[in-house]
Amino acid sequence: MAVETKLPPVLDIIRSNIVKYGNPLAMKGSEVASWAKGFNLPKRGDILFYTGGEYQLLPFIDSLVKTMTHIDQGSKGFSLMMGVRNVLDKAGFNAEKVYASVLAKDRDRYNRVCNKAAHILQRLGYDLCYPGDEELYSGALLYELGFWEDLKEYAQKVVDMIERTGAKTIVCLSPHAAEVLKLVYPQLVPGFSAEVKTFVEMVWEQRDKLPAIPTSKPVVIHDSCRLARELEIDEEIRDILQAVGVPIVEAFRNKKWTTCCGGPSKLLFPELSHTMGSRRVDELEETGAEIILTSCPYCLASLEGGQTKGDKTTVEDLIEFLYRGFAA
Amino acid sequence: MKLDLTKDFAEYAKDLNQASHDENIQKAMTRAVKSYRDTTAETMKRYPHTPDLALEVQGIKTKAIENNPDLLQQAMASVERNKGKAFYAKDAAEAVALAAQIIGKGKTVVKGKSMLGEEIHLREYLEEQGTEVWETDLGEFILQLKKERPMHILSPAIHVPREQVAEIFSKFFGKEVPPDIAAEVAQVREFMRDKYFTSDVGISGANVVAADTGAMVIIENEGNVRLSTGAPPVHIVMVGIEKIVPTFSDAMKVAEVTWRYAQYGIPGYVNIISGPSKTGDIEKVTTYGAHGPKEFYVIFVDNGRSLMARDERFSQALHCLRCGGCMYECPVFQVTAGHFGYTYLGGIGSIWTAFVSGGLEKAAPLLYTCLRCGRCVERCPMSINVPEMVGQLRKMIVNGEQIAQEDLTLAATVGNVSQALSS
Ligand code: SF4
Repeated sequence: MAVETKLPPVLDIIRSNIVKYGNPLAMKGSEVASWAKGFNLPKRGDILFYTGGEYQLLPFIDSLVKTMTHIDQGSKGFSLMMGVRNVLDKAGFNAEKVYASVLAKDRDRYNRVCNKAAHILQRLGYDLCYPGDEELYSGALLYELGFWEDLKEYAQKVVDMIERTGAKTIVCLSPHAAEVLKLVYPQLVPGFSAEVKTFVEMVWEQRDKLPAIPTSKPVVIHDSCRLARELEIDEEIRDILQAVGVPIVEAFRNKKWTTCCGGPSKLLFPELSHTMGSRRVDELEETGAEIILTSCPYCLASLEGGQTKGDKTTVEDLIEFLYRGFAA
Repeated sequence: MKLDLTKDFAEYAKDLNQASHDENIQKAMTRAVKSYRDTTAETMKRYPHTPDLALEVQGIKTKAIENNPDLLQQAMASVERNKGKAFYAKDAAEAVALAAQIIGKGKTVVKGKSMLGEEIHLREYLEEQGTEVWETDLGEFILQLKKERPMHILSPAIHVPREQVAEIFSKFFGKEVPPDIAAEVAQVREFMRDKYFTSDVGISGANVVAADTGAMVIIENEGNVRLSTGAPPVHIVMVGIEKIVPTFSDAMKVAEVTWRYAQYGIPGYVNIISGPSKTGDIEKVTTYGAHGPKEFYVIFVDNGRSLMARDERFSQALHCLRCGGCMYECPVFQVTAGHFGYTYLGGIGSIWTAFVSGGLEKAAPLLYTCLRCGRCVERCPMSINVPEMVGQLRKMIVNGEQIAQEDLTLAATVGNVSQALSS
């Protein structure tokens, strides 16, 4: 006998947003692609620059979570708020109206991560293409949360999008996208054969061309779980930093043994997630480093959120850090 | 059928948050994690063959789970050959009923620590039947008095600091027990000593069972298992069917890996028990019940394990040695201890919960707490892929699939050796 299980509503909201709008928060394609203005990237090419919309949605996740932290998900208030979302679902995501608390400067910052990543790759000699407002989220959360049936259908849409670009290689900014495209898609979409790479790998291959980053202060790397364990990419980040002349200090738990930033439980257990993020920040700060680097949108957000007042460290994405060399 | 879990999730989230703000838990966990990491690193250095041995044990366990029905038959036959009595209990109800029948009315029981006991609610059941039951493991004893469930599989009272123990003991013993660990331990020692020698039955679990010889291997440090399985006239072993491996030497390997990843170079005691106590010293006539128990019973408990064994997605969960290593490396467990659990704890516990203790309904909140970060896999001597199984079970929940509850074919295969007490 089948059992219809009612889970916390946030799960279904995420699910239906992905399925209906191609993005976990139902952001509009134009919003997702707004970072690319001025780049004039072609829609077709050999190398697909794939943001999956993940950095772009970070500031909105936080405000969704902030709202949820104060509202009991089983309560009337929550369903009320979700009612608002449902109305919104019809019209698409209107960030300004609903999440007024999202500051333009936050949106700008995370959008700029995509911007910087594209810039770096271009300067390293890669010819990128980008599907613009047709870009779809990878569906990693469908996989993560158990919506495998939905993913089966959804993956086909994503593959169609990829195929329209004619790309042979997909560069993923998010290790979550890379994981699902590389390890899960081949089982779901027969014949899917594009090469899936992470931003880190692409940079690593051309690391000799990176401009040096003048600093004598060591950085500490927070390895993302997906990158270090599923995708087995850890030494590459060290090589890259060595190539740009930046000293590294290692956390007690790193590489294959890295500590999760707590990000995955943000949707259902935001408070706990925050506690775990703070603890990881503490572990990283024990090294004495003042800059914490990571290469994953969720790690970035969780570690930043886990910082406490008076913390002297800054958390940066590897993309942002490497861009310093080009901006100098 | 409809199942609304939104309330459960909300309450559970509150519980987790509370735990993460509980100073006792935080203090205890910080200490425990540090000591686990330090000791394990040191022990692995001293016994560098351990990871290789763990790999070998992975092979042993994989095969053993595949051949579980056969091994069960062999193990039961071995127990009988050794003049013990062997039983197969297909579920928790059968298991506790068998135990109660063997024990009889109005008896006193001393019990060693056993997760299986928690799973089937053994103590509660026996107490309802009018049996007096004493948990002899210090941590379990504290929880028995505190009326709480274990918060760690090896250190069940990991979350209770000495000050609180002193309070609990002072109340129970009716005299002032100072918040001094040595004094607390001494107090329990004095109390239990008498229980060992006046109890009618001793109950223990087993960490490994060797099918060829019927040897039960029980690892411990306190010495309570020696006493509770040695002093009373009757010893009952209650053990999950997944604990059986083919040979005695396999069992030794499994045992060594288990304690090594449970942060011991060598545990204080390794008990190997295979039958009732006996002597042939007078005229070579074998007589049972020399110094130890005269009667020896083994109840092999299934309770969902063979379902797990037959599903290739989940059979690896049965390789779990219960070393507890994964829990120390789990970012959620580090801040919530056993609140991330339901009888069985942590990520691996969520899988076990789904199959043997609570079902998908109780497992759901746990399954969605797991970060799927995968560090437990690095720590696990059996490299059990918990994140993968968590994903599978989430999918099942979302799709409304249920864990198949068909009649156990295994129960049928072993029917010829399984016996009712009356026969
Ligand atoms: S899952 Fe692995 S690490 Fe965790 S208790 Fe079992 S054997 Fe030990």
